Amino acid sequence: MRLILVDSPDEVRGNFYPLALSRPLWELRCGFSSLGEKLTARIGAGSVAYFVPDYMAASYRAKAEGPVNDVSVLKGDDLLIVDPRIKADGFNVPAGGPSEVGLDEQGNVLYARVAEADLAKLAKDDIGQFIESAKAKLPNVTTALPTWKYIWDLILANSDQIKADFATAGRNGVEGVVEEPSAVRGDKKDVYIAPGAKVHPMVVIDAEHGPIYIDEGVEVHPFSRIEGPCYIGKDSILLGAKCREGNSIGPVCRVGGEVEESIIHGYSNKYHDGFLGHAYVGEWVNLGALTTNSDLKNDYSCVEVMLDGRRSINTGSTKVGSLIGDHVKTSIGTLLNTGSYLGAMAIIMAMGKPLPKFIPSFAWFLEGVVTKGFGKGKLYETAKTAMGRRGCRWTDDKQDMWDAVFEMTAPMRDKAIKKGRREMLSR
Amino acid sequence: MATVEERVKAVTARVLKLDPEEIKPEHSFTVDLGAESVQSVELVAMFEEEFGIEMDEDAALSVETVGKAVEFIADVCKQQGVEVEQ
Repeated sequence: MRLILVDSPDEVRGNFYPLALSRPLWELRCGFSSLGEKLTARIGAGSVAYFVPDYMAASYRAKAEGPVNDVSVLKGDDLLIVDPRIKADGFNVPAGGPSEVGLDEQGNVLYARVAEADLAKLAKDDIGQFIESAKAKLPNVTTALPTWKYIWDLILANSDQIKADFATAGRNGVEGVVEEPSAVRGDKKDVYIAPGAKVHPMVVIDAEHGPIYIDEGVEVHPFSRIEGPCYIGKDSILLGAKCREGNSIGPVCRVGGEVEESIIHGYSNKYHDGFLGHAYVGEWVNLGALTTNSDLKNDYSCVEVMLDGRRSINTGSTKVGSLIGDHVKTSIGTLLNTGSYLGAMAIIMAMGKPLPKFIPSFAWFLEGVVTKGFGKGKLYETAKTAMGRRGCRWTDDKQDMWDAVFEMTAPMRDKAIKKGRREMLSR
Repeated sequence: MATVEERVKAVTARVLKLDPEEIKPEHSFTVDLGAESVQSVELVAMFEEEFGIEMDEDAALSVETVGKAVEFIADVCKQQGVEVEQ
C-alpha cells in the first residue's frame, strides 16, 4: 500500500499561515514530530508520496524522501490518499480493504482508499482530478475523523501530544551526560536524556507534571529549568532558559529567556531574555533580546487572530501568543500583542509599544509603519547568511518558492505599505 | 511647477528635518546630511509618493548623493511616463 499525502486547497492552507506559506501542512509540528511523520507511523505505509502546491514542489523535492507531485505514483499499488489535516491519533481507517472515499460533513474528501483493481476507472492526469473521480466513482462514506482546523490548534494540543509521543517513544533514563549538581523532580521514568546530550550543572528537570525528552546532542546550560511536558530537539541549546511546560523546540535552536507552551521549528534562535508563550515559530527565525509576546488578554476574553490581514478569527481560547513565519527577525525589545501574526521574512524594528497584530510577509516594519524597507533581495541575502552559519544552503529552488510567496502575499503588504506612507506623510 | 531638484530637496529636508537651502547636489545623504539607514528607507518611500513612481529598492538605496537622486528619479519618471519639470 502506498500512502499519498495531498496538501489542501489554498483557502484551507490559509488557516495555517504564516507557517504553511513555505511548507506543506504535514511538515507542521506538534509534540515530538511533524503531522506527516505521525500519519505515516500510524498508517504504517510501505512508501509515501506527496502532492504539494506547485510553487513549492521543487523546493520540497530536495527535502522529501518520496516522490513529489509525480502522477506516476497513482498506479501500480493500492493507494491511501490522506488529507494531512487529519489528526493521526484519531485516524482509524484500515489501510487495506475495498475502495472507499471518506468525506467530512461538508462533502470534502478526507481520505480515499483505492484498491489497485479500481485504479483503471479513475482520471490520473492530476491529483485533483484523481480525487474528484474517486469521489464520483467509488463508494463514499461520511466520517467524523478529527482534523486540525487552525494553526493554533497545534499549539493548544502540544502538551498532550508531547505526553502521547513520549509514551509512544517508550524511552526513559539517562543515556547522555548529566553533570552534578542537577536536580530531577518527579518520576525519573518520565525523563529521557538521549546519547550525546549534555545537561550542565545547576539545571532543574521538573517532570512532576509531564515527561521531558531531551534529544541527541542537546546542551542545557546552567540555571535552566525545564518543566514537563517538554521536547527539546536534536542539537538545540538551552541558555539558562526558563523552559515552562508544553514546549517543542528544535532541532538546532538556541533558546533562552522564558518560553511556555510553544512550538519552535528548527534553526531558530531566541537567545536572550524575553517571554514567548503559546507561540508557533517557524524556521530560521531570530528573536532579538527582550522580544516578548502576550498570550493572555487583560480581560481574559478569547484571543482573536488575523490570518489574512483583514478578518479577525476568534480562536476560542484565552491563550494564544504569536504566529511567526520563517526567517522573521525581530529587534531588541520587540513587543508582540496577543494573537499577533508576523508574516514570513518580515523584519521588525521595535518602537517601544506593541506592534500591530498583523505584519505581512516580506514587510519591513520600521519606525512604527510597514515599509518596503531594503527590499526582498536584502532579505534573501540575510537568509543565505543565516543558513550558511548552520551549514545549510539557500538554493535557487528555495528562492523561486519565496519569490512565489512574495507575489502571493503582495496584496496585503501593498495595502499595509500604503497605510504606512499615509502615516509617514502625516508626521 | 517645481523642478525635480527642488522637489527632491524639499522631500529630503522634510524627512531629515533640514533647511532646504542648505542641501546641495553634491551632498551625500548619509555623510553630509546624516541620514540613518531607516531614514534612507523613508526617503525612498517619500520620493515615490512625491513623484508617483515605483523605484527598485536596491537601486534606489544605492544612490548616494542628492544630485544622483535627482538624476535617478528623473530617469525613473521618464521610464514610467511621469511628466516632471527638469
